[in-house]
Amino acid sequence: MKKTLQTIIHGPWAYWIGAIILAVLNILVLIVRREPWGVTLNIENWGEWIGTTLGMLDDQGFTFKELMAASGTYLNLGLILGAFWATLVASQVRFRPIRDKKFLFSALIGGLLMGYGARIAYGCNVGALLNGIASSSLTGWIFAIAVFFGTWLGSKLLLRYLM
Amino acid sequence: METSSFHSQQKWNIGFIVFLTLLLALLSQISIHLTLITVLGISLGFVLQKSRFCLVSALRDPLLLGMTQLTRAFLLLLGISILGFALVSWGASQRNIPLILNVFPLGVHTVVGGVLFGIGMVLAGGCTSGILMRIGEGFAMQWVAFFGLLVGVVLGERSVINWRNVFGESPGIFLPDIFGWVPTLILEISSLLALWQLASWWQKKQLGE
Amino acid sequence: MTRFSIEIWGEMCPIPLIKAKKKLLSMQCGDILVLETEHSCTSRGIVVWSKANRYIIEEKEVANGIWHLELTKTHD
Repeated sequence: MKKTLQTIIHGPWAYWIGAIILAVLNILVLIVRREPWGVTLNIENWGEWIGTTLGMLDDQGFTFKELMAASGTYLNLGLILGAFWATLVASQVRFRPIRDKKFLFSALIGGLLMGYGARIAYGCNVGALLNGIASSSLTGWIFAIAVFFGTWLGSKLLLRYLM
Repeated sequence: METSSFHSQQKWNIGFIVFLTLLLALLSQISIHLTLITVLGISLGFVLQKSRFCLVSALRDPLLLGMTQLTRAFLLLLGISILGFALVSWGASQRNIPLILNVFPLGVHTVVGGVLFGIGMVLAGGCTSGILMRIGEGFAMQWVAFFGLLVGVVLGERSVINWRNVFGESPGIFLPDIFGWVPTLILEISSLLALWQLASWWQKKQLGE
Repeated sequence: MTRFSIEIWGEMCPIPLIKAKKKLLSMQCGDILVLETEHSCTSRGIVVWSKANRYIIEEKEVANGIWHLELTKTHD
């Protein structure tokens, strides 16, 4: 009993247990929010808002008040807080700095490609792949094949430049 | 040295729980809906971190390392989600509750975007949810990736119209509209089962049973 | 029974595992490979991979959020 509790708090949980709980949570998000869980759209709205506030973009999008009322903001914020809490209950919190300059560039380039790709395909791994397929949309399946091919290309780049 | 450098962070943990409780209590005064959403967001982050669930790994490792455990867990997640979404949308239509599903338009840019997204997430060390999760874990690298993501998303928003004009796009295809609900579900679940079989066969072959 | 170690500190998934795989090829049966990482997913990934390959793996948390892994090469 004590050992089970230890595993629950300390982790790691088996992948399939994670998958089942994530699926239940994913369905609960759909019920509460009346639209599926998504990450990118909200990040885009924040990006537009930050750009406009700094005077770099001219966008008629969202005001700060509207962003603070958007459910996506709370999902994303909750995700960060939840992941932090999960590391904290296991006493695994530490700052993990970038220890090699190559990762600075790979993160920046990767982030850029990811953001651009996610926006022109209308969603990320969660919104377009997981919940695209879960919504029985043909686009989700096609997007999944494209992402799978992309990760293969990405792995080639990783082996070549980051090893 | 094994236990000497390990310090319990329980005090901080209790402090953080108090902080979360206060935050949720405050939020519940403004909106119950947003409080529920925040609780769900926290749970999602917690489970993602605790089970070390990583969608990049699920898609990358079959070809790179010949490992498919996480891929199969992802297929399980997809299967349950498909059935759950079908049930929820059926229930919503019974009660005339408006429900939006993620049926997105289809075009050349769906494929191009998917490939770019795939390359990007391998280089950045996490997909969008993975980046948020790793920011929570304390990784500095994913802060940089998040900054790149912000810029990339805004650039994408500015250029998606050009993709649409040059290549055109067709409206999203909702499979139940074509086949009906039951055949769609049978088709999707059997595809997932076939992928599952393929994945376990692949791992056996790669690791040389 | 030789102990080897490779530098994977601060490396991102999946680089540690690829490096470990390469190192294992040059090791004899019974040799031990020592690894240390602060990435929770990397540590988990190496444990899952080793178990799937029927190697002996020991995972220990030596400090807050730092994992020390010892992989014994049991077969070629």
